[in-house]
Amino acid sequence: MSGIMRILLVLVSIGTTWWILHKIRKSKVKMEDAIFWMFFSGLLLILAIFPQLSFYLSDLLGIDSPANLVFLMIICLLLEKIFTLSIVVSQLEEKVSVLSSEVAIRTQDEDTRLKELEEKQKDSKQS
Amino acid sequence: MEILVVIPAYNEEANIERVVDQLIEKYPQYDYIIVNDGSTDNTRKICKNKQYHFLDLPVNVGLSGAIKSGMRYANFHGYDYVLQLDGDGQHEPGCIQDLMEEMQRSGADIVIGSRFKTKKKSKSMRMLGSRLISWAIYITTGGKRIQDVTSGMRLFNKKMIKKFGYNIHYSPEPDTLAYLLNCGIKIEEVQVEMYERTAGVSYLNFKGSIWYMLKMLFSILVFQWVRIREKEVH
Repeated sequence: MSGIMRILLVLVSIGTTWWILHKIRKSKVKMEDAIFWMFFSGLLLILAIFPQLSFYLSDLLGIDSPANLVFLMIICLLLEKIFTLSIVVSQLEEKVSVLSSEVAIRTQDEDTRLKELEEKQKDSKQS
Repeated sequence: MEILVVIPAYNEEANIERVVDQLIEKYPQYDYIIVNDGSTDNTRKICKNKQYHFLDLPVNVGLSGAIKSGMRYANFHGYDYVLQLDGDGQHEPGCIQDLMEEMQRSGADIVIGSRFKTKKKSKSMRMLGSRLISWAIYITTGGKRIQDVTSGMRLFNKKMIKKFGYNIHYSPEPDTLAYLLNCGIKIEEVQVEMYERTAGVSYLNFKGSIWYMLKMLFSILVFQWVRIREKEVH
C-alpha cells in the first residue's frame, strides 16, 4: 500500500469524523446514527496506521493487492449500511402509511360524531 | 403549580389498569396522561373503555418518543412539572410527593426517583451496566454522582419540559443527564420504593441492552463534547 494511499485514508477518516461530529453539533443527526460512522472512520485510520494488517489479510484471502482489500472492506461496510438503510426506509414508509390512514380515520370519525351532535342540538331546539 | 404524570405504555394490557386506577383513586390531585405507544395488544381498548386520559399514538415510536409526546402535551397545556411514571407498576405513586419536596427544597431542575440513593446495587449484569454508566457520568462531569441512571421515575421542571419535548438530542436517558450536569443543571436523587415488573415485557431485551450501552457510552464519552452547551440553561 503506497504512502499516498495511507495519507488519503487518514484524510478521509478525519474528514468523516469531523463531518459527522459537525452534524451532531448542528442537531442534524441523532447521536446513535453517528456511531456507525465513528467505527467506519476508526477502521480507515487503523488500516492507514498499520499497513501490515492489510498485507496480512490480503495474503490470507488471496487478494493480489492490499489496496484492493481496503476497497473491498469499504464496499462491504457501505453495502451493509445501504442494506439496513433500505430496511429502515421500508419501515418508515409503512409507518407513514399507517399514520396517514389513522389520522384520516380518526378525523372522519370525529366529524361524523360532531355532525350527529349538531343535528341532535338542532332537533332539541326545534322541539 | 401543576404536575402532569406522564405514563408511557407499550403493550401494558396486564398492568395499565392497576397502575392508573391506583393513581386516580389514591392521588386525584395529580393530572395524568397515558401515552399509548402504538400498542398491538388491548392497551388502547382498556384506556378507551375506562375513559382514561390518553394520547393514542398510531405507530410505535419507542420509549423515548413516547415520553417526548408526553412532554409536548405538557408544554402545550402549560404544565409546570412533568413526572415520568412507568406503565408497568414498578413505581410507587406515593413517592411523587417526596420528589416534589426535594425539587422545591434543593431547587433542582430534575429529580430522579432512585433505587440506590441509600441502598446498594446488587451484582447482576443489569447493575454492571448501571455502574458503567454511573462511572462514565462521574468521570465526565468532574466527579458528580448519579446512582440510579436508568430509573424511569423522574421529575422535570418547566425549563426542562420544552427542551425534552423538542430538542433532538434530549432523550430521557442517562447521556442527557451527563450533558445537563455539564451545562450547570442541578440534578438530585431521592430514594424511592420500586417493585419488580409483575407482568408484560420490558422495552429492553439482551441485544437491545448491548446496543443501549454502546449508545450511552458513545454519547457520554464522545459526542457530549461536541454538543453546544446552551447558555440560557445555566
